[in-house]
Amino acid sequence: MSYTPFIMAAYLLSTAVLLWAALAPVIKKRSLLRQLKARQQRMDKTQ
Amino acid sequence: MNPIVLFFHKTGSPPWFYRFSGYLIPWLWAIFLVITAIALYLGFFHAPVDYQQGATVRIMYLHVPAAWMSMMIYGLMAIMGFIALVWRIRIMEVLVIASAPVGAAFTMMALMTGSLWGRPMWGTYWVWDARLTSELVLLFLYFGVIALYNSFDEPRKAARAASLMSIVGAINLPIIYFSVEWWNTLHQGSSFGGDGPGIHPDMLLPLLLMAISTKFFYGANLLSRARLILLKQDHRKRWVQDLLSQEKH
Repeated sequence: MSYTPFIMAAYLLSTAVLLWAALAPVIKKRSLLRQLKARQQRMDKTQ
Repeated sequence: MNPIVLFFHKTGSPPWFYRFSGYLIPWLWAIFLVITAIALYLGFFHAPVDYQQGATVRIMYLHVPAAWMSMMIYGLMAIMGFIALVWRIRIMEVLVIASAPVGAAFTMMALMTGSLWGRPMWGTYWVWDARLTSELVLLFLYFGVIALYNSFDEPRKAARAASLMSIVGAINLPIIYFSVEWWNTLHQGSSFGGDGPGIHPDMLLPLLLMAISTKFFYGANLLSRARLILLKQDHRKRWVQDLLSQEKH
């Protein structure tokens, strides 16, 4: 029995999980900042 | 003012925490990447394969640190949750909530890599063994903390409920740790100290390096998530408005 597929699957899945964990807050923060800036600009215009 | 008290007052202030963690995060990521690269190099090119398990032992460099992190993060959440409930320190509430997805990620990683290691060694991906089952319960506890926090409209109330759940759920940690001693399990006992089978120094070094690097991953990821939560909660406050105006120019 070749062990390579199990080792590769373990490393690939772990990389995917850690990448998701690392990137999720970065993506969410960018989107939140965009929303907040757009709202601030709208408020600046109305004043 | 006493310097220790002053330090706690400073770190408890969201604008200060946001700014300070912003400087710290790139360094934590850099250290994580360097140590992980060294550990993986040693694990793949320097450490020998196991005389019984062959090359599958390389899964250990992911599985064991991930399992350690899954327990350590929940333990920290319980401690931070206790501090948040007793002293009402808001940053601690934020850190409890920010820790939960990172802990869930490490628990998932431990379960997946364990399953992929179990198939060639035990002949099965999964057994309802005490160690595996208690680790799965830990994953559900993490999901429970996240779901409980998201089920409240008022963030501070939500964080307090999640802190309480973190403290209650900590009962599972000694169960996970001692499961291999209390019950007959397919999962092996600890290789460290006591009557454990021991581990070759060439395998131990990359394992310990991975254990250290995952702490830096947790630190960087925790601070990124905590900053996001603070921005969401404080988006109407002056310091966030100032931050947005600074970024505009």
